[in-house]
Amino acid sequence: MTPLDINRRTFLRNSSYSVGSAALAWMLTRDLQAATAGRGVIGGNFHYPPQAKRVIHLCMAGGPSHFETLDEKPELARLGGEPMPESFTKGQQLAQLQGKRNALKCLAPQFEFRESGECGRRMSTAFPEIASIADEIAVINSMHTEQINHDPAHTFMNTGSIIPGRPSMGSWLLYGLGADTDELPGFVVMTSSGGGQDQPIAARQWHSGFLPSKFQGVQFNSKGDPVHYVKSPPGVTRDDQAALLDTINGMNRLLGKRVNDAEIATRISQYEMAFKMQTSVPGLTDVSDEPQHVMDLYGAQPGDGSFASNCLLARRLAERGVRFIQLYHRGWDHHGGVKKGIETVSGHIDRATAALVKDLRDRGMLEDTLIIWGGEFGRTPMAQGSGRDHHIKAFSLWMAGAGIKGGTTYGATDALGYDVAKDPVSVHDLHATMLHQLGIDHERLTYKFQGLDFKLTGVEKARVVKEILA
Amino acid sequence: MEKPFPHPLWPLCLLWLTSAWLPAAEVDFNRDIRPILSDKCFACHGPDERTREAELRLDTYEGATEGGEFAIPIVPGKPDESEVMARIHATDPDDLMPPPESHKKLTAREKDLLKRWIAEGAAYDPPWAYVPPARHPVPEVTVKDWPVNWIDRFLLANLEREKLSPSPDADAVTLVRRLHFDLLGLPPTPRETDAFVQAAENNPQAAVDREVARLLASPHFGERMAIYWLDLVRYADTVGYHGDQDHNISPYRDYVIDAFNANLPFDQFSREQLAGDLLPGSTVGQKVASGYNRLLQTTHEGGAQPKEYLAIYQADRVRNVSAVWMGATVGCAQCHDHKYDPYTAKDFYSLAAFFADIDEDQHFKVGSNTLPTKRPPEMLLLAPEDEAELAALKEELAAAGDKDEKKRLQAKVAAVEKRGRRTMITVAKPPREVRVLPRGNWLDDTGAIVQPAYPHFLAGDDPGSGEPGEGSRLTRLDLANWLTDPVDGTGGLTARVFANRLWALFFGTGIARDLGDFGGQGEAPVHPGLLDNLAVEFHESGWDVKHLVKLMVTSRAYRQSSLAPPEMRERDPHNQLVARQSRFRLPAEMMRDNALAIAGLLVNEHGGKSVKPYQPAGYYRHLNFPPRKYAADTGAGQWRRGVYVHWQRQFLHPMLRAFDAPTREECTAERPRSNTPVAAMVLLNDPTFLEAARVFAERIMREGAAGEGDRLDFAYRHAVSRPPDGDERRIMGELLAFARKDFQARPEAAKALVSTGQAPVPADLDPVEHAAWTTAARAILNLAETFTRN
Repeated sequence: MTPLDINRRTFLRNSSYSVGSAALAWMLTRDLQAATAGRGVIGGNFHYPPQAKRVIHLCMAGGPSHFETLDEKPELARLGGEPMPESFTKGQQLAQLQGKRNALKCLAPQFEFRESGECGRRMSTAFPEIASIADEIAVINSMHTEQINHDPAHTFMNTGSIIPGRPSMGSWLLYGLGADTDELPGFVVMTSSGGGQDQPIAARQWHSGFLPSKFQGVQFNSKGDPVHYVKSPPGVTRDDQAALLDTINGMNRLLGKRVNDAEIATRISQYEMAFKMQTSVPGLTDVSDEPQHVMDLYGAQPGDGSFASNCLLARRLAERGVRFIQLYHRGWDHHGGVKKGIETVSGHIDRATAALVKDLRDRGMLEDTLIIWGGEFGRTPMAQGSGRDHHIKAFSLWMAGAGIKGGTTYGATDALGYDVAKDPVSVHDLHATMLHQLGIDHERLTYKFQGLDFKLTGVEKARVVKEILA
Repeated sequence: MEKPFPHPLWPLCLLWLTSAWLPAAEVDFNRDIRPILSDKCFACHGPDERTREAELRLDTYEGATEGGEFAIPIVPGKPDESEVMARIHATDPDDLMPPPESHKKLTAREKDLLKRWIAEGAAYDPPWAYVPPARHPVPEVTVKDWPVNWIDRFLLANLEREKLSPSPDADAVTLVRRLHFDLLGLPPTPRETDAFVQAAENNPQAAVDREVARLLASPHFGERMAIYWLDLVRYADTVGYHGDQDHNISPYRDYVIDAFNANLPFDQFSREQLAGDLLPGSTVGQKVASGYNRLLQTTHEGGAQPKEYLAIYQADRVRNVSAVWMGATVGCAQCHDHKYDPYTAKDFYSLAAFFADIDEDQHFKVGSNTLPTKRPPEMLLLAPEDEAELAALKEELAAAGDKDEKKRLQAKVAAVEKRGRRTMITVAKPPREVRVLPRGNWLDDTGAIVQPAYPHFLAGDDPGSGEPGEGSRLTRLDLANWLTDPVDGTGGLTARVFANRLWALFFGTGIARDLGDFGGQGEAPVHPGLLDNLAVEFHESGWDVKHLVKLMVTSRAYRQSSLAPPEMRERDPHNQLVARQSRFRLPAEMMRDNALAIAGLLVNEHGGKSVKPYQPAGYYRHLNFPPRKYAADTGAGQWRRGVYVHWQRQFLHPMLRAFDAPTREECTAERPRSNTPVAAMVLLNDPTFLEAARVFAERIMREGAAGEGDRLDFAYRHAVSRPPDGDERRIMGELLAFARKDFQARPEAAKALVSTGQAPVPADLDPVEHAAWTTAARAILNLAETFTRN
């Protein structure tokens, strides 16, 4: 059925109003091409057998310290309080510690690490719940990035470039794969905070850049309307809105009959989707149908806007066919008081993160959901008072689900966690690996802009990290 | 109202429609060959020495015909002896070019074109964009009575060659709407529509000429043009990076509006923006204009290092100046020599050196997490009477001896200053040292020091790269003069870039389709002669923008209908042959202006500080340093034009975003035109549009007589410039009846709906009837016809 079909059902079924009856019946004598919705350029012609159908990116914004999370460094503990050996830092880029170059001291890791899971990987005791899923996750300890400030580092993580105007990875996925829903946006972003100073997150992080704007991420709000303008106006019922939509679409069909313009058919179907979203979005965010034990598993209170609630919503979005779900938690910028900060942020994210993995696993969805957990950079082994400064030479993150070999640990840093010592993984490598799991060769998902074939992984060679794949 | 095709002429031309538009008999290097070589070969065999394989370059005749390590790649006239031909047809993947791992493939058509080109002598023409435009003879045409001016003869000659006909003229209503949207960004009033339709009956061309003259004299012309210019120069009200604090710049926006209204010659407009501070005896307006150099995104994030950000800023400026004036993507040369165009990394940093005198230090030192942040140097602009008062007060202050007296006067000074507006300006300092940054790395100090210089291949005799010394250093003013000098500079290119962009505004697509890239990877113009003549006309007319606009919109081609049979759309989807006009949804700002104008809510004040429309609560909650609370304007500010809306780079107003307004982090030469459910929800539920609907409803009820039919007439004539037809009346009647019945049962709901927004709620109207008409008005404001320029 195309948007201009004659016998089109109307939104409004059970009321006295039916524009479909008399007036519309005669006028729809001609079909026009419907807009193709839902399919991406790959269109089922995957480059590899896809493992993942969707991605959930748990973005730990602010720069999580690898020393307190995933990368145990006994040597740094031994040197705690001692001067940082100059051999590490000479001629290196520093952020806020730049001015204190001559008085750099080591800061010992603030938490014990303990053997976890059957794989026996040593993990921070600050995150006991994440340690309990040690066998589900693959840790990369050799990440490095190029940007030392939050904003450009996020931009680099999301778009593979620091030049503004490049599409984010979620937009690339929608462009490549489309979405499995016509009632919800295919790329959804949610944010939460707590645990450290809230660094701003710009909307450019989920922008579609030079890709068509229908591929941009839609931010769901944890307070107020979940999506801007999703609620009908004051005094307007669902039936009112339906009658209005029927009239608009009916009139636009009349126009479509007079003029040959594919945009009109597209507009009709977009108004239909808008109407569906007005129902499906509130249905999605109303979690009253979740049993108590699920709420307890996540530690979520309905409507509290917490990371835990967002994790639960992420699962609900995944169930409904959303392609790329990105949760930001803005609590990781621990320039001072890293111990206290990590304890606080753990209280916000530890349980819910593990709950999401377990819940998806129990529902059989982990096998086709790729989870990425990590921040935009790491932190220095050097002390900044009682905290740590930004650090780009080395950091850690983990992935799980969708063909990722759980229990693996890949790459390593040097004795003080300053530099990558083994098997470096760049942000572009991470992107290539993510795309690979979705069945896409990162070299072949391209878009022509300003005459160039752009891709998420940029111009330098990127490599799929096969070692963490099952 | 648009009438359905077909037109009597169409059957004739349909015979000739084919799916691909094949080039005319002779192969043209720039049109047919360069795009193939550039896209498929230059990455490894092009200008960038660092990545060149087998010492072979195919971007020059010498390189291609002398060869590298192996056989001669191209033997002119002899495809069979040319190694290139053997390689592109090779069956062994080790020999095949482009190599399989590049994922680049040549089509059969491309291979055939290469063969024909070699057979015809393998002539290399210089890149089209860098050949200065020269006047071409206006072509002869067979159909003599169609063309109005020479633009039409260029287009028609091409159509005749392609065995096509232009579309018939659009009807007068369509035409008057098109002119008003294109030139003012506003819909015509019913009175203006009637006057035009009547005049056009007697003499359509005279009616168009008169209307165009009238519209070009309107102060709204500048507002409309500014929307586009502000995208190019990335004008916004906030700093963009990190805390995205407000900065002071709105007087620059007003300068742009005034400049277009006053028809300031484009070369002077360019000079004032790039170097207004360097002009002898520069005026206040010229200093405000120099705010151009301050429009880029900036930061003072804790831990941000001036050296790093100076590198980021200089690259940003080079990207913008080259994109705005040269239609070039010089940004690629930040890390390496350009892979497709002749720009080198040295060119990039030499361009950056022009901007090395801009005072940046102050804002690094004093930039703060305040609203607005401190970004000196700034200047204070006051109304003339305030200016006088301030001068008097300062005199008094100087003379005052008493401490209390001084205090009292200082408070008065502060009060007067507060009434003014501050704006960032450019102040020159002794220039910083600029080095080539190897691979763009700002930590690497090993690159050569460079002086301001024009890109080497465009520089001619005076590249400006001589030895540094007193007086010999080129300035931003030199750069501005060079950019607009068609004889000794690159003014021809500048004229071509801007003429092409104007064309896109009024025809929907550029003559050269990529408005942002005139380089090897951009598309060559479909009508090179026409573009050249427009460019020459532009600078020879003294860079007269209104003259060029007038030439375009009074052409016969502009008047064409935008209706076209599906076959024609398929054949020429981007409307490059201009055998029809284009139809598209209005730009974001005009979506707003249109609804407010139809409702009679639009406040037509000129200039001033940016305004804040209703916005969803909490939208700025992610902003920090400081946390942000959005306060929507009260009073007149709520209903002003979109061009005056506060432009928050990190969180652009959701309505503007939904309709593709850019965040203005970078130069935007062409906005996408999306069509999304989010946009539908904005038009349906955003309080700005709801308020417009309920005020429009009030107007319909008061001014549209008593009967429902007359009221619908009134509503349609205001929204779509024509009365509704019978079916539309019937459908709207059904909606009204439904809404009336529904709201009768829920009078409180009716009151809630008609109270949306800040406009006074009429006490004398029956809320139920008002709500019913508000529903009808919402429908009308959501019709595609209402917001489509066609």
